[in-house]
Amino acid sequence: MAISNDKEFKAALAALPAARQRQVAARFVERVYPLSNDVRIKAALDLASRADISDAELTVVAQAANTARVESFTQCGRETDWNAQAGHFVAKAAVACVKPAEAGDNLAWDAAMQARMARTCQTVAEGSGTENREAEEQYRILEAFLNS
Amino acid sequence: MSATLEKGVRVLKEVIDAPIASYFNSCVHCGLCAEACLFYTETGDPKYTPIHKLEPLRRVYEQEYTLLGRLKKMVGLSKAVTDEELDSWQELVYNSCTLCGRCSAVCPVGNDIVYMVRKFREGMSASGHAPEGIKGAVNRTITIGSPMGVKLPAVQAQMKHVEEDYGLPIPLDAEGAEYMVMLSSMEIINFPEYLGAIAKIMNQAGKTWTLCSTAFEATNAGMQIGNSDLARVLVARIVEGAEKLKVKTVISPECGHAYTALRWEGANLIGRPFSFEVKHIIEVLGEFQEQGLLKTEGFETDKLTFHDPCQLARRGGVIKQQRNLMNQVAKNFVEMPDAGYMNWCCGGGGGASAIEEGEELRIEAFKKKKSQLDAVKPDRLVTACANCRIVLEEGLEHYQMDIPVIGLTEMIAEHIPDKGA
Repeated sequence: MAISNDKEFKAALAALPAARQRQVAARFVERVYPLSNDVRIKAALDLASRADISDAELTVVAQAANTARVESFTQCGRETDWNAQAGHFVAKAAVACVKPAEAGDNLAWDAAMQARMARTCQTVAEGSGTENREAEEQYRILEAFLNS
Repeated sequence: MSATLEKGVRVLKEVIDAPIASYFNSCVHCGLCAEACLFYTETGDPKYTPIHKLEPLRRVYEQEYTLLGRLKKMVGLSKAVTDEELDSWQELVYNSCTLCGRCSAVCPVGNDIVYMVRKFREGMSASGHAPEGIKGAVNRTITIGSPMGVKLPAVQAQMKHVEEDYGLPIPLDAEGAEYMVMLSSMEIINFPEYLGAIAKIMNQAGKTWTLCSTAFEATNAGMQIGNSDLARVLVARIVEGAEKLKVKTVISPECGHAYTALRWEGANLIGRPFSFEVKHIIEVLGEFQEQGLLKTEGFETDKLTFHDPCQLARRGGVIKQQRNLMNQVAKNFVEMPDAGYMNWCCGGGGGASAIEEGEELRIEAFKKKKSQLDAVKPDRLVTACANCRIVLEEGLEHYQMDIPVIGLTEMIAEHIPDKGA
């Protein structure tokens, strides 16, 4: 299956059951994980990648990932450190990978969007504009995932 | 006396107007303002009594504008304000005051204490005694245009993301649009989903709207630090943008003090009426609701409560709309004690959250919010201020309370069916 735009991408993700969504979401976030390097996020991604996760395990890593998200907020009025902000969005993406799933949720889409935000923050920090190819990379990851 | 102190004292003399003079003369030392301030109630330290936070200003008033005060000063019975004193007062005027206005609301003689603090900050700022965190925000506002250093390309990048995420256009510089939507840096940086929610809501309501490339930032660091000249420049920037685009209404975002700065102080600051209306996003959503333009589907079924941002509810008088909106999408909406007009502050408003050295005190003061939440034990907490949202999240995290925090505009947008988008 070839994916060439966000409409196809979103629809393909929405068609996946929650556990599979977590697995592919973790792959999206792993690409931007070096922008954070927070071990709590790594633990969340490692767990989300597994097919045999228990609810109890999910709860524990979701809490830890959420703590990483809250700790990395830029406070109102403080100077934005775009590298740190990239880390915040990585944490937000990781939370999407492991949060409790409700009917109709598209966890993987949420994670993908936050991962793109993280990449954009990195490019802003580098002063290299805001353009990047994260979306296209995510299409390729999903294609590979669906074909595996 | 140093040059900066001289300047600061001169400014303090200038800001003492008839209301401030009458407030100092009217104070009956009842202490009710102390019981209304979360920094006092949660620490028990009398130095956090709101009227006490104004003591240097009171002395300047007494020494300069009363006969008895002049005599006391002449014979050395009343000390002049010093740099050291103002430096030690920084904690009281900035770190432990969020300009929430609860003290003003309870004063039995009608003293507007928060107005006095706001004026006192003018002198503190002029004498160089504002906290470094807020000074930094002011410097970035002057040099970059945003207190958090957000430039237009970053906004455009977020616009692009939101367009991808929601599949809806984010208009920029659309002349003649009905609404000009402002953002706070916090929304651009931390909560870009707010912009997506706006796009979805406006699309369903059939309203034209736009962002403005020269006036996207709503926050006003001038108001927080106590610098009316800067506050005026920032308001003028928005007015210029709105008039250039010929919009009918400027929407203040989910940011408390931005609303106060533009809606309640803006026209006075620039010295003329606006050619457009200013409304908080919650007021606009309330109007859409009344006009039947907000068609939502489904309900939240878990227990939700609402944290009223001080500047919106107490100082802005917007109380009913958020409750009507909550009830449109929530089956189990419960009120915290003191909700609405007398709600307790999150502890981070008025620039306090930008002050690193005030963090410990903020966490201590958060115990008030904790007790409000403990009384109703909600599953989730809804609010309408990006700054409140982060301060709440940090406080909840610190006290290990598992209560997710969400923005009201986003929650409403989530209930708008995609087919309408």
